[in-house]
Amino acid sequence: MRRGVFLAAAAWVWVLVSMAGSGWGADEIKVGVVGPMAFTQGEGHWNGATMAAEEINAKGGVQVGKKKLPIKLVKVDSNEFLNVTDATNAMERAITYDKVDFLMGGFRTEAVLAMQDIAMEYKKIFLGCGAAHPELCARVAKDYEKYKYWFRVTPINSTFLVKVDFLLLEMVAKKMATELGISKPKVAIVAEKAVWADPIVNIAQENLPKMGMEIAGVWRPSPVATDVSAELSAVQSAGAHIIFTSFSSSVGIPFAKQWGELQVPAAAVGINVEAQKDGFWAATGGKGNYTLTMNTYARVKMTDSTIPFFDKYKERFKEAPNYTAGTYDALHILVQAIERAGTLDSAKVVQELEKTQYMGGAGKIVFSKDHDVTWGPGFVTAIGTQWQDGQNLCVWPDGWQGIKYEGCVDYKIPPWVRAHYKK
Amino acid sequence: MLLAQLRRIQVVIKTEVLVLPSRIAVMLFALFLLTVPFYWPDPYLLRILTLASIFAIFAASWDLLSGFTGQVNFGHALFFGVAAYCAALLNLHLKFPPWVTVPLGAVAAVGTGLLVGIPCLRLKGTYLALTTLSFPIILMGLVFAFPDLTGGELGVSGLSRLAGSRVGEYYVCSVLMLGAGFLMWKIGDSKTGIIFHAIREDELAVRTAGINTTKYKILAFCLSGFFAGVAGGLYAHVMRIAGPSTLEVSLSFQAVIWAVFGGMVSIYGPMAAVFILFPLLELLRVVPQLRNLAFALIILLILLYMPEGLIPWIRDRIEKLCPRCKARNFTRRSHCRICAAHMH
Repeated sequence: MRRGVFLAAAAWVWVLVSMAGSGWGADEIKVGVVGPMAFTQGEGHWNGATMAAEEINAKGGVQVGKKKLPIKLVKVDSNEFLNVTDATNAMERAITYDKVDFLMGGFRTEAVLAMQDIAMEYKKIFLGCGAAHPELCARVAKDYEKYKYWFRVTPINSTFLVKVDFLLLEMVAKKMATELGISKPKVAIVAEKAVWADPIVNIAQENLPKMGMEIAGVWRPSPVATDVSAELSAVQSAGAHIIFTSFSSSVGIPFAKQWGELQVPAAAVGINVEAQKDGFWAATGGKGNYTLTMNTYARVKMTDSTIPFFDKYKERFKEAPNYTAGTYDALHILVQAIERAGTLDSAKVVQELEKTQYMGGAGKIVFSKDHDVTWGPGFVTAIGTQWQDGQNLCVWPDGWQGIKYEGCVDYKIPPWVRAHYKK
Repeated sequence: MLLAQLRRIQVVIKTEVLVLPSRIAVMLFALFLLTVPFYWPDPYLLRILTLASIFAIFAASWDLLSGFTGQVNFGHALFFGVAAYCAALLNLHLKFPPWVTVPLGAVAAVGTGLLVGIPCLRLKGTYLALTTLSFPIILMGLVFAFPDLTGGELGVSGLSRLAGSRVGEYYVCSVLMLGAGFLMWKIGDSKTGIIFHAIREDELAVRTAGINTTKYKILAFCLSGFFAGVAGGLYAHVMRIAGPSTLEVSLSFQAVIWAVFGGMVSIYGPMAAVFILFPLLELLRVVPQLRNLAFALIILLILLYMPEGLIPWIRDRIEKLCPRCKARNFTRRSHCRICAAHMH
């Protein structure tokens, strides 16, 4: 009995002591990499930052005034997909217990908003590398003094993501017009039944007629559907020439697979997060050939650093980088700002971060006044990639605003679509 | 006057608290909570204890409804979420301070308790559990259907802090937790609590005795909703955001896990469970890959060997009932502290 009580008391003291904080010394720069580490998004965060930290440390570290300090990464598992409270606890622990100097990462907007508040309270620089919602940067504009420590490095904000989505659709429509003579294509809007896709569906319904396209119908399969053949048959019956997709979940795989198997005579274009991953080809058994999706990275020369980054990442981690691997650029940007500032003082580093002109893997990174990554020609544009015979190749920008990245190829209309309309 | 009051407190502590190890443990725990910022003002520790206090109220409120009255609620996050959103919207749009929004949020949760309680009156067991499960899911749908008001997937953010500092927030939450816990325990121990017990055991018999069980079941929904609502309002101001996660099914099930782990029909069992499991989950961050697995294993093992819950298991080993008057006594006593009957 007494032994049991003693053990319980000892365990409780251990709990408290372990929470009481450690972290010492200013002989290194601690960077907290925050993300859902059990998921591919968190892996991307960690991998990108690891690669950058290794490069920086191999060169001797970061020049801070007269000292050279190495980077030490701290893995902060936010578990944010499952538990927002957990994410905020992880953030507080990273700052107060692990004593990180800077933070980067984050994915789920609700969690990032709560974590952002904590980071700002401690005046810690937090470089966003996952959440796309404009509100995160709108806070900087509304209350600069409080939120100036926040910057978004990747992805471009969701307003611009939608713009790129429609630019991809426009490219495919033009191709259908020039190569197949379909001047007013019918578009089937197929979006997973999820909140993020709702505004895209609404905007599409409003704007497609203005863009000279006809709406064949709207289909909203479950994000985790394993069979979408009914929707695809309906799309075919509606006479659609193009399928405008919005998939972030696993439904992107059965959709692409069945689309290829049934040879639905409509080109698929839009967002299909599963198609951004290397495993897509194997998962669809090659049937996802010709799927076109918006993307962040491909092996094209968006800047001088894109291809070296892409190749090194793929060699090291055996997969292509997803957009959360933008922590690679985030860490290099941070280090440059620290070296220019000559100090780890957050306020001074913020001033230098605001002057950033960095040629990153996804384009030139310049921050807007509200600390958002700038989108547009000459900056980060995002890209469109199409699966062509086992390779995910960049097909957009195809001359949009005069931009065509070296290594980009032409978009290909799926052969069965071409054959169907050439009859 | 003051001296007389102090003497009275001293007598109560001596005759009512120091006579039972479980009460001594509760007193020491309360003392620990009230003094910890003086000798351990670590912000991370205070955050964990603040959130544990909030969830302790939430878990105990589930026990009040489902443990005592037997109205198994699998959608308890509804009360939490309604109060969180209500407090958040009042704070953000009408600039009401937290000391106004938290009670109003709790009142909104009471209203929700009525709304849910009335249609659920005819249901029992599995049917009631599944019906209650659906309510937060329906509300989640409404949250996404009216994003201009509710913030959609972002939730309502940018709320005022509960207090000016972390220590202030900690004291508001821990004192409210101690107060709410004591109140719920007293309710469970009162005449109303006995009727709640009886409804759980045999509702027909209670009705045969001329008691309006409908009234008491609605009362249980409202009381439970009120305390869960207090927790929800506090949570919104501590996190400074009220989002869809406050309505998630996983939060509802967390309340069930806490209550079952700590021991149902006790109020202090679920509260103790939160103060064990919530810091434990933080502690397990040292093994990130195994964190959730280890956590689940610990819960499973406890429930396997202590099916009545951890706290009743411990209590039964340090205290026993008097064979004559059924009062609780320390196991080492040879005679009952109340009726002096022989204990062995």
